[in-house]
Amino acid sequence: MSAGRVIEIYKEVGRPPQFVEQFRLEDFEGSHGLGHTRMATESKVTTEGSHPFSTGLDLCLVHNGSLSNHNRLRERLRREGIDFQTENDTEVAAGYLAWRMREGASLEEALEGCLEDLDGFYTFLVGTADGFAVLRDPIACKPAVLAETDDWVAMSSEWRAIAVLPGAADARMWEPEPTVVYAWEKALV
Amino acid sequence: MAVETSEMTGVEIVDLASTPLRELNRRLHGLADGAPGPRRWRVLNPNGAHAVGCGLDADIDVEIEGHVGYYCAGMNKLATVRVHGNAGPGLAENLMSGTVIVEGSASQSAGATGRGGLLVVYGDASARCGISMKGIDIVVRGSVGHLSAFMAQTGCLVVGGDVGEALGDSIYEACLYVRGEVAGLGADCVEKGLEDEHVAELARLLERAGFDDLDPRDFRRYGSARQLYNFKIDNAGAY
Amino acid sequence: MLETERMRSHDGAWQPGLRESYLFDRNVIAEIQRASREGIYDIRGFGAKRRVPHFDDLLFLGASVSRYPLEGYRERCGTDVVLGTRFAKKPLELKIPVTIAGMSFGALSAPAKEALGRGASEVGTSTTTGDGGMTEEERRHSTTLVYQVLPSRYGMNPDDLRRGDAIEVVVGQGAKPGGGGMLLGHKISDRVAAMRNLPKGIDQRSACRHPDWTGPDDLEIKIHELREITDWEKPIFVKVGATRTYYDVQLAVKAGADAIVVDGMQGGTAATQDVFIEHVGIPTLPATRLAVDALEELGMHRQVQLIISGGIRTGADVAKALALGADAVSIGTAALIAMGDNSPEYDEQYRKIGSSAGFYDDWQAGRDPAGISTQDDELAARFDPVLGGRKIANYLRVLTLEAQTLARACGKSHLHNLEPEDLVALTVESAAMARVPLAGTNWIPGA
Repeated sequence: MSAGRVIEIYKEVGRPPQFVEQFRLEDFEGSHGLGHTRMATESKVTTEGSHPFSTGLDLCLVHNGSLSNHNRLRERLRREGIDFQTENDTEVAAGYLAWRMREGASLEEALEGCLEDLDGFYTFLVGTADGFAVLRDPIACKPAVLAETDDWVAMSSEWRAIAVLPGAADARMWEPEPTVVYAWEKALV
Repeated sequence: MAVETSEMTGVEIVDLASTPLRELNRRLHGLADGAPGPRRWRVLNPNGAHAVGCGLDADIDVEIEGHVGYYCAGMNKLATVRVHGNAGPGLAENLMSGTVIVEGSASQSAGATGRGGLLVVYGDASARCGISMKGIDIVVRGSVGHLSAFMAQTGCLVVGGDVGEALGDSIYEACLYVRGEVAGLGADCVEKGLEDEHVAELARLLERAGFDDLDPRDFRRYGSARQLYNFKIDNAGAY
Repeated sequence: MLETERMRSHDGAWQPGLRESYLFDRNVIAEIQRASREGIYDIRGFGAKRRVPHFDDLLFLGASVSRYPLEGYRERCGTDVVLGTRFAKKPLELKIPVTIAGMSFGALSAPAKEALGRGASEVGTSTTTGDGGMTEEERRHSTTLVYQVLPSRYGMNPDDLRRGDAIEVVVGQGAKPGGGGMLLGHKISDRVAAMRNLPKGIDQRSACRHPDWTGPDDLEIKIHELREITDWEKPIFVKVGATRTYYDVQLAVKAGADAIVVDGMQGGTAATQDVFIEHVGIPTLPATRLAVDALEELGMHRQVQLIISGGIRTGADVAKALALGADAVSIGTAALIAMGDNSPEYDEQYRKIGSSAGFYDDWQAGRDPAGISTQDDELAARFDPVLGGRKIANYLRVLTLEAQTLARACGKSHLHNLEPEDLVALTVESAAMARVPLAGTNWIPGA
């Protein structure tokens, strides 16, 4: 399901432990990864509707929340030549980022554009070839925790996911501010 | 069942790695109304579990050795709950009485709608700290996030660090004390003078929280301008 | 009587050549004039007043030759229902499938709340608290009391949570899905203010989102907390205003609800913007169908009970909601009317405050001559909770008898054996919404 040379995307409908086993997650190697389980709100529980959504070459998006203006935006983006496979709101956000970056925006600029063009609630996590970025909507209801050490950076909905990492106890930990784009690249990590 | 009593310390130890949360909460609830049982508890390996020690109603001490998830010590009465770690959203929501202490940081909506008691956070609390508070006192050593004390009704919120956007939006009669920077005040929230009575109140709160190294005179006080209490058309833009 | 005369005198203004606009009728003109004078939206009580497709647009197919009816009065037609069988140790066992909806002390006077409890208890059904906490009167007089958890959390405390017989997490209500509560200053008396920890006399506007959770994933964790606090004894209901009902019902099931309350757009309110009441949400009829669809798709129909509210007035409404798949219904506005709201007895006094018996909807104003939607001690004292309770009990009995009459005519020995196939629709709209055939045809539009 991946688009690009560096990022690989695996999706399945089912329980996380089965997924880990099925795709032999422990054999994976790499510099960074994104994991996501989804409680479908309005679109169906399908593999296609699962996150992350690819936002173009070596870029993918996971989302916690619920957008409120994605239907018209999807139409606008279709006219710009962006393809959509589902009725999912997150796919529209992914398509929006892809479109902005195709038009020359940096990842940070594209994410900042979300604040203007996306309505509703979102905590976004974007994976890139060499790092990741985080953005929350202005109201920022959906949870997010960031943690940083000299060795790694992590983002999660809940602290419990980060707490198992080596050195987590001494990590600098904070919750991302609304409307602020946080971005890391491998060179800096 | 991995429950053991240390004869030496008189502390009841419950390991959530091997004991279901339901069992822990059931036993803690069994101490309500003065029922006999251990008064000191240690909870091991909470591992981010939700609803740890919620609904307690007994004058007991509960020490939680690790991180907790949502709604730790929710609706607590009488008990003292201390978390040696971080706490997730809705920490001590609707606190009635007693004391809840988090030695790490707390996620959003800490102390939400609390009606009494004391919530102390050694680290930071995030967004919506003290939302709709109704009599609780909250003392945060670090900073709090945006929309803290939203629609705060009564009680005190004390912040040793900085505060995010829209502090005290649509506040009623709650009293807010901030030592650091305020990114922005919400609708109808204004700075008010720090008089001797406020210094005294603040000193008491800091002492109860164990932060008596902080000087109450370094704080500024915020509260309601009371301009939105009854609808006036001239204020329509503020709603 | 007097109202008829007033209408006549208004109509008397008509002369040949004068034509009232359909678009700008007298209500529209009056509202534009009011808005330009006062500069604030109209806030009122009651529910939607516009006509929407409703249970009236459905008819039962009584038994005849192909099906055999049951004898009225002599052959049994059961009415009992159990709510909250999924997880709760102590589900609610009700004798009739008609319950009293959540209405706050604050919106209603204390004796009115007491009467609701008395009436419901007399016939073996439940009543519900509201956005303001539990009063001693209603707890004492309600055998079965559902305790609401609302965004404002006014009066919220673990003792009352445990004293409740069930817990209802209110996400929204039919009159205003997506909106928060309102209680205007003249109803914030000393007692209401104390229960809500608010200054007396302020205009209270409650939040529309809960303070400590947002969305279905958080709701699941919130429900778990409530279960832990109450030791998994109490049924937990989730109440939603009818909008995207199919998704909301499925998400409530996934979040762990024992029962789901779906309140259609006709559902009442004590104080809401008129524009909200009339323009947000879907009618109870399609909401019922969507809710049942959602439950059936998950295989949870009858496992997670469905309670339908919003415009239930008669035993026919009860029977039709049950036939479409509801396990029970709730009444609010009808209960207030049963207790004496809009009674002709008070017509003169309604007129003094600019209304009339049969039209009174200023429940937000706290000047209710019937002593129901008020916090004025003098007005509230007019209301006799014992008599009010008896009226509620009488009315609930009539609703039940009527529903039984219809069910027996369809050959059912229990109300729950009514089926959508026992119904036909009178209009194309209602046929499409309820997904039952237009009378005399096999046609279900859109099916």
